[in-house]
Amino acid sequence: MSKIDDLAKIVGPKGVVTDKDVLSSFAMDNSFVSGKIPQCVVRPRNMGEVQGIIKLATLGGLSLIPCSSKGPRFRGDTIPVADDAVIVDLSGMDSIIRIDKRNKVAMIEPGVTFGGLSTAVEKEGLRVVMPLLPRKTKSAVASILEREPTTIPKYHWDMSDPMCCIEVIFGTGDMFRTGSAAGPGTLEEQWASGQAQKSPMGPSQSDFMKIMQGSQGTMGIVTWASVKLELLPKIQKAFFVAAQDLSELIDFTYRILRPKLPDICLILNRTDLVSIYGGNKPANDLPPWVLFYSISGYEYLPEERVDYIEKDIADIAGQTRVKSEQSIAGISAGNLLGLISKPSGDPYWKLRSRGGCEDIFFLTTLDRAPEFVKAMNDEIKKHGFPEQNLGVYIQPIQQGRNCHIEFNLMYDPKGSEEMERVERLFDSASKALMDMGGFFSRPYGQWSHLAYSKCLDTVTALKKVKGILDPKGVMNPGKLCFAKEE
Amino acid sequence: MSLQDLQRDMAGCSRCSQCKWVPMLQIKSWRFAKVCPSIDRYNLHAYSGSGKMIIGTSLLEGRSELNDNITEIIYKCQLCGACQVSCQAYRDDIDLADVLLELRAKCVEEGFVIPEHLEMIDSMKREDNPMGMLKRDRGDWAKGLDIPNINNQKVDVLFHAGCRYSYDEDLQDITRTAVMILKNAGIDVGIAGNDESCCGGRAYEIGYQGEMKNYAEDMASRVRASGAKILVTPCSDCYYTFKYLYPKNNLDLGVKVLHITEYVDSLIKEGVIRPEKDIPLKVTYHDPCHLGRRGEVYKEWEGEDKLLRPVRYKQSGKLGVYDPPRDIIKAISGIDFVEMERIREYSWCCGAGGGVLEAFPDFSAWTATERIEEAKATGAEAIVTACPWCERVFIDAIKKNGDSIKVYDVMELLNLSLGGR
Amino acid sequence: MLAKDAYKELEDVLGPENISEEPGVLDGYAWQPALNLGREAWIPRPEAVVLPETTEEVQGIIKICNKHKVKFKAFSTGWAAWGGPGEQGVVQIDLRRMNRILEIDAKNMYAVVEPYVCAAQLQAEAMKKGLNCHIIGAGPNTSPLANTTSGWGYGWTGLFTGFSGRNPLGVEWVLPDGEILRLGSIGSDAGWISGDGPGPSLRGIMRGWGGAQGGLGVFTKCAIKLYPWPAGPKEPRFKGIITDIKTTDVPKTHKVYFLFSPSYEKYADLAYEIGNSEIGYVHCKGAFGAMFGLLAPRAMRKMLASPAIRTITRAFQHMTLFMLAAHTDRELKYQEKVLKKIASETNGIALDASVFPFHQMFWWGVVRSIFPAMVFRPGGDFLTSMGSNVAYDCAVNQAKEGEKIKREFIDKGVFLEDLADCTWGGIYEGTSNWGHLEEIGMFDRRKTEPDGRFEYMDATNKAAIDKSLGYGLSSLGEGYYKIFGPLMHDYHIWQAKIKQAFDPNNTSDGSFYIPPIDELED
Repeated sequence: MSKIDDLAKIVGPKGVVTDKDVLSSFAMDNSFVSGKIPQCVVRPRNMGEVQGIIKLATLGGLSLIPCSSKGPRFRGDTIPVADDAVIVDLSGMDSIIRIDKRNKVAMIEPGVTFGGLSTAVEKEGLRVVMPLLPRKTKSAVASILEREPTTIPKYHWDMSDPMCCIEVIFGTGDMFRTGSAAGPGTLEEQWASGQAQKSPMGPSQSDFMKIMQGSQGTMGIVTWASVKLELLPKIQKAFFVAAQDLSELIDFTYRILRPKLPDICLILNRTDLVSIYGGNKPANDLPPWVLFYSISGYEYLPEERVDYIEKDIADIAGQTRVKSEQSIAGISAGNLLGLISKPSGDPYWKLRSRGGCEDIFFLTTLDRAPEFVKAMNDEIKKHGFPEQNLGVYIQPIQQGRNCHIEFNLMYDPKGSEEMERVERLFDSASKALMDMGGFFSRPYGQWSHLAYSKCLDTVTALKKVKGILDPKGVMNPGKLCFAKEE
Repeated sequence: MSLQDLQRDMAGCSRCSQCKWVPMLQIKSWRFAKVCPSIDRYNLHAYSGSGKMIIGTSLLEGRSELNDNITEIIYKCQLCGACQVSCQAYRDDIDLADVLLELRAKCVEEGFVIPEHLEMIDSMKREDNPMGMLKRDRGDWAKGLDIPNINNQKVDVLFHAGCRYSYDEDLQDITRTAVMILKNAGIDVGIAGNDESCCGGRAYEIGYQGEMKNYAEDMASRVRASGAKILVTPCSDCYYTFKYLYPKNNLDLGVKVLHITEYVDSLIKEGVIRPEKDIPLKVTYHDPCHLGRRGEVYKEWEGEDKLLRPVRYKQSGKLGVYDPPRDIIKAISGIDFVEMERIREYSWCCGAGGGVLEAFPDFSAWTATERIEEAKATGAEAIVTACPWCERVFIDAIKKNGDSIKVYDVMELLNLSLGGR
Repeated sequence: MLAKDAYKELEDVLGPENISEEPGVLDGYAWQPALNLGREAWIPRPEAVVLPETTEEVQGIIKICNKHKVKFKAFSTGWAAWGGPGEQGVVQIDLRRMNRILEIDAKNMYAVVEPYVCAAQLQAEAMKKGLNCHIIGAGPNTSPLANTTSGWGYGWTGLFTGFSGRNPLGVEWVLPDGEILRLGSIGSDAGWISGDGPGPSLRGIMRGWGGAQGGLGVFTKCAIKLYPWPAGPKEPRFKGIITDIKTTDVPKTHKVYFLFSPSYEKYADLAYEIGNSEIGYVHCKGAFGAMFGLLAPRAMRKMLASPAIRTITRAFQHMTLFMLAAHTDRELKYQEKVLKKIASETNGIALDASVFPFHQMFWWGVVRSIFPAMVFRPGGDFLTSMGSNVAYDCAVNQAKEGEKIKREFIDKGVFLEDLADCTWGGIYEGTSNWGHLEEIGMFDRRKTEPDGRFEYMDATNKAAIDKSLGYGLSSLGEGYYKIFGPLMHDYHIWQAKIKQAFDPNNTSDGSFYIPPIDELED
């Protein structure tokens, strides 16, 4: 019996896909990563089937690549490197298992998208803290596992947020639950005692949720996650602060983040703002930089909350010589808030201007953002990349302790010369930014080689961890620092 | 009292290490957060207050034995009492300072003695002082001052100079200044001259508890003979001996005991002494351990379980002499007074006490240097104190390190403001 | 005794002043009564004690230990039995000489510290820059590095300052084989700003809810998150030691409240609404009986001997100690209004502590987190249990269960009378709705035998299992992994695999972490 037959025994014949077009769609994505066509796509329906698939893989002849989101994909992490790859498509496991209103947490399967989750939790007066305009097909669990930055810094206490607990099948085939979900007791027993799988740490003296985050599917497969939710505001107001130079925004941003005044708080350059907002607004009508932020009132005295925050921010604006406005050049902050509070419409916002987009992102501190932007501008000049096609998105995270800087290189993927130029720019800029101290904490594709060459001690340690959780190397071989077994 | 009597105290130690630190609520910086010179210099836990209590428990339980190494650890400690203050911030049932004293007594009993301390005791036996000086020279500091000698007449106030102030030529001016301030204020003050002898406190501290008894009895008879109602001393160590060690050992002098700063402060507040001259100087004040936290009067409590002992009986250092010296300094116009971080009950030790100056001079100097650094950090031009032992080690440390900060006794500063030189 | 050549090699690395094998000195490391769940205060005496000053010296020590097959155990301040050896034959690494604050980045709110910086030092320096740090319940004399990398992490400013285990950024770690691992951005020459990545976060190996407690090498540097210190004084100065403190430095935008709820359910509701409203700086269950015990222990003994007084004080049992610290007057005004509304809607009373003469002292004591640490005062010793990190309704259920169990043991004379109400803990991280409540028992080790305490731990562990109350501090005791592990996806086996991978020679004393896997599988 072939491996495909074995898989069909686990997931049922309809759960195994061998259609060539479908398989080809997994061999590439919008990144520059190239790979191999998988031998099939398998679609488990529940944890037991996932476990069965992994156990089968440990017998040899299969490597597994978990994939929770439908396309288009952008990172290259789900593109097979090995010949025997099987895509484990979790997008069909899309139940919202439980929403706990009092404890503000949702337990969801990997196939649940941000849109689906938002719609469900809003009925309970809650909201999901999301990354900036995730694509409609993006799996919420996958996003949080990837440590994608979210737009509300005050709720971002630790890098793992908003993840709480996970149920995971390791590459050994063993099931494990992390955090307070570990027990003792079944989930039902835990719920009966007032628990909600809300605390993200442990159990005991290790934290496999942290290992799973950022692992690009190389350690195991998550079959559900509990995700922290927040209250849906009763009142919201949104504002822009415009600037000619990014440096004008830095001090103000630090100072409003410190007392946790804003909810959403992020910086965009005009290219990204136009891409997000859409419409026919010529880019040059807009200021080169905007800080966008929102403020909220909740259950108790919402108007008074908004009022004091608005006044405190006004004081800070006066001291830092910036001005908060509710619209700029005809763009309403309120409308932008409405857009940013949901997943991206179609086409995905990054693809709107040129059809293709390559992202360079890393972590640093907000005060260094201007120097990184300058460095990137130098790079695009060097490679003849038009400035108007460079989007910049700066997202303060961890309550303002550091920030995610993202450069969106928008280009026409149909032009091979342009594509090659963008690829060269991508490689050159990535290296330059890394050498300047940009922390590429999510090393997709080519970054993994660059990033891990800087931290050989981390590589040694990760290989030990891999040896524990996936000793047979069945999970997404060739990714991160885990060379494909010959 | 013996070490065995303190077995419960020692067994109560939870090893929280508060004894190494300034009381937590008073830590103001990284730099000046530590309070125990012994552990700060030598780092092994055994050097801390807790560490020495654990040594005590270990000895009593037969887990280890006294030897030269352990003896040295026990004696590399100025008995400054800071550990007790910090410990008793949280604990009511541990008298750490008493444990440290009893450990030394045990060392002496079992023949583990420090040679330099033997010399001190020998000097005391021969010449009534631990400094190797001659008894017949003891009263020389007062020559020419026309201060009544109590052998010749009764007085209201007996001025006890103390050994260091009697013999240290660098400091004798302070002794003279102090007694003359009293005399010029119209106080009927007298001295014992050559008949004055050591209070015995240092002997007790270095483990020769029996020796102190002799000196205490001698002191008591001298006080009686003087007719004085008040015994005043400029020496903080003597002050501590009179206020704490004597009563602890059932020795009652029968008179009011005051440090010179207490007395002079009251005279200033009564208007009897009036500082008039402007002294433009930025100063900081160093609380001598034996005047401050160790100068707290001894409080007898009889009970078995110290957890039931009322707080007012704890030797927490709260009742030491802190404000009178400060009030004197602040009464002088022109003075810019700044506080160090480690002050009052949690002052950093000068380094001289407990027999350390004599036996481990390097450690003493190290401790003094640390204090001078703290004084310098305030921007003060002078460090002012009220104890000859502190003054001695500060002067030596400043000289050795080439620092320019000055050292004053409170009486010296006051004297300048009274028009003295 | 260490082999002579091993001792010599260590001495060559450290200098003769920084190593000792003198029995009386070593007993200073073997006396560990705090949180000691053994029969006596003594733990195994180490073979030697060593005091390194640099990361290189730590590496040197560890490599020598590996070479001579000797175990080692490191601690920072060394308070609590888990810092010392759990078995014979262990070299104690005392990190006292590694005591620097290397950096405070005020703008990006973190500090980089060595092991022997105590929380009070870090807080004092942070406050000069308008920041504060998380201080755990054991008090400001503890090491932030130790509790961030290796311990637990509950502190009563957790509503605002999180939990120690969630506060590390970059970490420098000397592994049990002597090699250095730098976690996160510091390992990639990108500064201390993040402890996660590249890729998977190895913080997940360093610790979980608890740390490895010395069982996985030595942490030599850690970047720790700092938090705002809203409108707080930068260098407060005042007289006094603890209860005698008077200060004029209480900012007008800081307020301390005692909140009284009529029941545990309302207490929980109050906590949830406080968290959801994003107000507050300190939230902690106040234990009326224990508060007396800490601040006036003799008065407590007398008062609580009276059944009538005990009945009256029980009415105040569901107390919250709550502090507001606002950046502006407007913020304070809003927070106070919300607080009063919430208190009213949950049938509670909000008492502004500024009416009390001890208010100033209390404010500073709360900020410096001194009061929980005073739990040693009434009896000289204490232990704790329950206290799992869970959704707060479950934490409250633990409190109820813990009190019920503890009552029996108070009646048996195992613990001091404290109305069976020494629950301590609160909610963490603002809107998270998770938190903890641990049940503390105070006792005098000199007067009581340990068997009752062992029974108490067993009883609370049983309750945690039977009623699904989470994995808490009850699991502290030796060997409890044998009970909890199989009930929790064999976490102990996975931990043992980590231990095996990172400490193949088993030189890092894992007594308070996990035994080697071959011992588990026997």
